[in-house]
Amino acid sequence: MEPGKNILVIDDEEIVRISCTRTLGPEGYSIDTAEHCVEGLYKLKQKRYDLVLTDFKMPHIDGLELAAHIVAKYPETKIILFTGYSTEGTALRAVQQGIYHYMEKPFTPEALISVVKKALAG
Amino acid sequence: MIEYFVAKRREPYETLAGKLILATSIMLFSGSLLIGFIFFKFNEDILMKNLRRHGRSEADLVSRAIHYGMLTAQYEAMQHTLEVLATSEDILDIQVLSPRGVTVFASDPETQGRTVKMSQPMAESIMGREPPPETITTKEGEKLLRFLLPIRNEPACFTAACHVHSERERVLGVLQTDFRTTAIELTRQQMFRGTLVFGAVAVLSASLMLILIFYRFVTRPVAELELGMKRLATGDLDTPINIKSRDEMGLLAETFNTMAQDIKRYRENMEDWTRSLQEEVDKKTAEIVNAHEQIINAEKLASLGRMAAGVAHELNSPLTGILTFTHLLKDRTPPDRKQDIEDLDLIIEQSERCTKIIKGMLGFARKGVSESMETDVNELLDATVEMVKNQIKFHNVQIWMEFVEDIPRLTIDPNQFQQVFLNLLTNAADAMDDRGSISIATRVVGEDPERYIEIEVTDTGPGIYPNNLDKIFEPFFTTKPVGQGTGLGLPVSYGIIKKHGGDMTVKSKVGEGTSFFVRLPLKKEGEETG
Repeated sequence: MEPGKNILVIDDEEIVRISCTRTLGPEGYSIDTAEHCVEGLYKLKQKRYDLVLTDFKMPHIDGLELAAHIVAKYPETKIILFTGYSTEGTALRAVQQGIYHYMEKPFTPEALISVVKKALAG
Repeated sequence: MIEYFVAKRREPYETLAGKLILATSIMLFSGSLLIGFIFFKFNEDILMKNLRRHGRSEADLVSRAIHYGMLTAQYEAMQHTLEVLATSEDILDIQVLSPRGVTVFASDPETQGRTVKMSQPMAESIMGREPPPETITTKEGEKLLRFLLPIRNEPACFTAACHVHSERERVLGVLQTDFRTTAIELTRQQMFRGTLVFGAVAVLSASLMLILIFYRFVTRPVAELELGMKRLATGDLDTPINIKSRDEMGLLAETFNTMAQDIKRYRENMEDWTRSLQEEVDKKTAEIVNAHEQIINAEKLASLGRMAAGVAHELNSPLTGILTFTHLLKDRTPPDRKQDIEDLDLIIEQSERCTKIIKGMLGFARKGVSESMETDVNELLDATVEMVKNQIKFHNVQIWMEFVEDIPRLTIDPNQFQQVFLNLLTNAADAMDDRGSISIATRVVGEDPERYIEIEVTDTGPGIYPNNLDKIFEPFFTTKPVGQGTGLGLPVSYGIIKKHGGDMTVKSKVGEGTSFFVRLPLKKEGEETG
């Protein structure tokens, strides 16, 4: 349990946002959600987040671009990228952007908790 | 067919033979005319010479006959002799003329005493020379040959008892003998007629022979050649010209036949070439059509792939929700409610299977990363059958399974092989129009180290025609109605099997059914699972 850690979930799919909240909430994290990048960036300005979970594929702005922006602007914030089906290409690009953690959808609660813990610990 | 030769009737004088015959006949006619004329003239000359000689000798005979009479001055006997001699058919008249031209004696006594006109031959004979015979025409139109013989003075004359002539006179008179030429003239006319008739017959028969010769050696071969050329012009190259002679005509015919054969060969070559070109064009056209279909199919597949990928991505999020909430629900479920936990586990298991199916779909779109694991093929087949048997498609399909017991495990990608089996079952049902039976069997075949697991899927469908058997593993080959089959199911399956070192074969009998045999190699002894 690492209480007090702030996590922002940016995903256009409500079910994903709820799933994350319901999985990570009981773990003691403080979860905020955003439906799209604009909302996510707004929330990032309002509050300092330890971790951002964002989908690779979203309307308006590419998740990878968003992640690159976050990496540049909030270097202390960790990022976990959700991908549908990871290929070597997307993994490589993610690593090039400074994102060390990514997750394949769909995921189980266990897997999500495990990855989140690893990211926050690293 | 184009009519190259306008059939035109030619007049005989227009033909080659006609022209030649006409020219030769004219030449022959003029030649024989000339020869006849020369022959006639020659013969006439001989005749005239003979006549002259004959006349001369007769004149001489006359002179000798009257010689004695004159010497002895027996004038009456001499007159008689003359008259007798004149009765000869040849002799018309005999006269003895004085040097002054007066008829002293004559065979016709009435002309006695007349003076003849002095003429050049007469003058010559008076001078003692013998002139050549002279041709005379009488008042009656009779032709005569007149011989003038000078009667020269000789000792017997001037010493004769009569003393009529003195020694000084050189010529005592002239003996004039007129010969009839009527007989000769008749002969001449006969000869002329004969020559003319002979010439005409000769020209006619020669012309006839020429016509025959020309017909045989020119007209007939030329007609044959002309006919052959007409045949050639209308496209008949198979009938040769039949001229066997060894002359120029034969040579011409032979050359012509060779030419026709050459043309025939060239034409055949050209036809062959055209045919092979047509075949090539047809083949290429078919290839283009096929390629076009392949492009369309590839495009269809690509858009299908894009759609599948989109759907797969869309499904990921709800699956995340299902998995998450099932897990949460399961965590909340008290441990004693075993049935609930089992049910929730089933949801989780099936959700994970969905995840794999989606990943598999995406994997086909891209270069799939296979996840190989030790798999029991019997179990996999069982699961696949479980999956399909509730589909409407398989409601009227009986599925028989005959599996070998204790089947060795295979290191394969179960998801991919589930697709292979699914494809085989779906194809079987399609082939049987969703009505019939499918039998699935597994067996271990071969000897170490080449051992295989063989999976046989047999349907009771209509079978595959032999000419289609080779093509069924080719991409985009399908016999299903347009829009129903992509023609990719079997090729993709084949690719998966090949990738695992296996093989797939097919046996089919039209009207009885089709069997697919999938063979997958078993790992050799001691080989590690990798």
